[in-house]
Amino acid sequence: MSPATERKALSEGLDKLRENMTTLAELASLAIRKATEVLEGEGAPDATAVFTLDQEIFALREETVKSCVDLIALHAPVARDLRRITTSLEITTDLDRIGRYSRDIVEAATRLQAVPRNTPLKLPKLHRMSELTIQMVDTAIRAFVDSNAEPVRNIIQADDAVDSLHDQVFLDVVDQMADRTMESQVGAQYILINRYMERIADHAVNIGQHVTYMVTGRRPWRPSSPKSES
Amino acid sequence: MPTKLETVQLSAFYAKKEAIHEVSLAFPEKTVTAIIGPSGCGKSTLIRCLNRMHEVTPKATTTGEIRLDGEEIHALDPVSVRRRIGMVFQKANPFPTMSVYQNVSAGLRLNGVRHRKELDAAVVRSLKQAALWDEVKDNLDGPGIRLSGGQQQRLCIARALAVEPEVILMDEPCSALDPIATAKIEDLIFDLRQNYTVVIVTHNMQQAARVAEFTAFMYLGKLIEIDRTQKLFENPAEKLTEGYITGRFG
Repeated sequence: MSPATERKALSEGLDKLRENMTTLAELASLAIRKATEVLEGEGAPDATAVFTLDQEIFALREETVKSCVDLIALHAPVARDLRRITTSLEITTDLDRIGRYSRDIVEAATRLQAVPRNTPLKLPKLHRMSELTIQMVDTAIRAFVDSNAEPVRNIIQADDAVDSLHDQVFLDVVDQMADRTMESQVGAQYILINRYMERIADHAVNIGQHVTYMVTGRRPWRPSSPKSES
Repeated sequence: MPTKLETVQLSAFYAKKEAIHEVSLAFPEKTVTAIIGPSGCGKSTLIRCLNRMHEVTPKATTTGEIRLDGEEIHALDPVSVRRRIGMVFQKANPFPTMSVYQNVSAGLRLNGVRHRKELDAAVVRSLKQAALWDEVKDNLDGPGIRLSGGQQQRLCIARALAVEPEVILMDEPCSALDPIATAKIEDLIFDLRQNYTVVIVTHNMQQAARVAEFTAFMYLGKLIEIDRTQKLFENPAEKLTEGYITGRFG
């Protein structure tokens, strides 16, 4: 195969990879939005839609990982081509985890809805947290799709805000359980949901940092990585 | 890592035509440095300057400096320079009328070594270092030219090693070899770095990535970039380098 043909084949492979990654990112973003709708009982929430999205994300991730390995094996890419492929490999894991946590949120929300509540729920901070998390995921995904590290420059600060809300929600739930304004089985589900949401924001940070590496070639420093936990 | 060999503002000419332009490049001791670049970029001319082979070509000249252990090589005897800086060429070139033994010992005999024991020891050591000993030990008197292409290239490497050089220059040493013979030479280059400073010119970027700690990229006679090989292939600093290694050139 001549170098020109090889280059063309690699270009086509990279275009296909970009297409798959964009779809994967859109599915993950949709999964967390739908999960939040189910959690907040908006409109006619459809829990099964999130389960389907999770399965679709998993299947597309498998296909994408295979195509990345094929590109590396067949074309020995270097420089920005190599960085795009390795970044895609890393990000597929983050997107897959976002899909999985969205499913976990729906499962917890379903268990929550099965418990008769004595008092109306007062957790506005959880709502704010889910808004911020969705915003972070969208920002990170846009940065990847546009190959632009600028939008994710401050993603760690956004994550700090989510972490702070996570801590506050946790304390609020514990307080409400302690003064018996919230049943323990309800509180336990909220603590789980709170945790899932915070982890999704961590994966958005991961995506942001991978994009920064992909675009600049430099690995951004981060004090601690959430990856060891997922 | 101390510098073994370096060029300072080195330019090389064929008559009035400049083939390389003010190249300053340091080769650290006991490391492998690969030089990559498109055909005609001056990489072969550069390594031919390093052991004063360039000046053998009629009307070929250089300006600038080349230092071996800090000494300007043009102030040294060219024969001693070539003994200290050995060279392996693109096409294996064993002496056609000589046996394996004679090929390996040729350099030493030219340098006046006559003792059979000394020659024997050098032949065994060099063939072992070149990873050829097991394949030829039972037929040292057979003609070198009868060996396979890969074996001939390792024979030439053994011949270069026999005079105990400090630097080994390799000009596309695997371009005429199949993947198995190439792998053997690459393994050999990997081992040679323990004792020698190696400079290899290659068109095969994956080969540079596999064997070299440092890679230099040349274009139109100029040194564009040199860096640790991983850095150069993962995140090159220069757009020209990126264009060349990713195949988006021109």
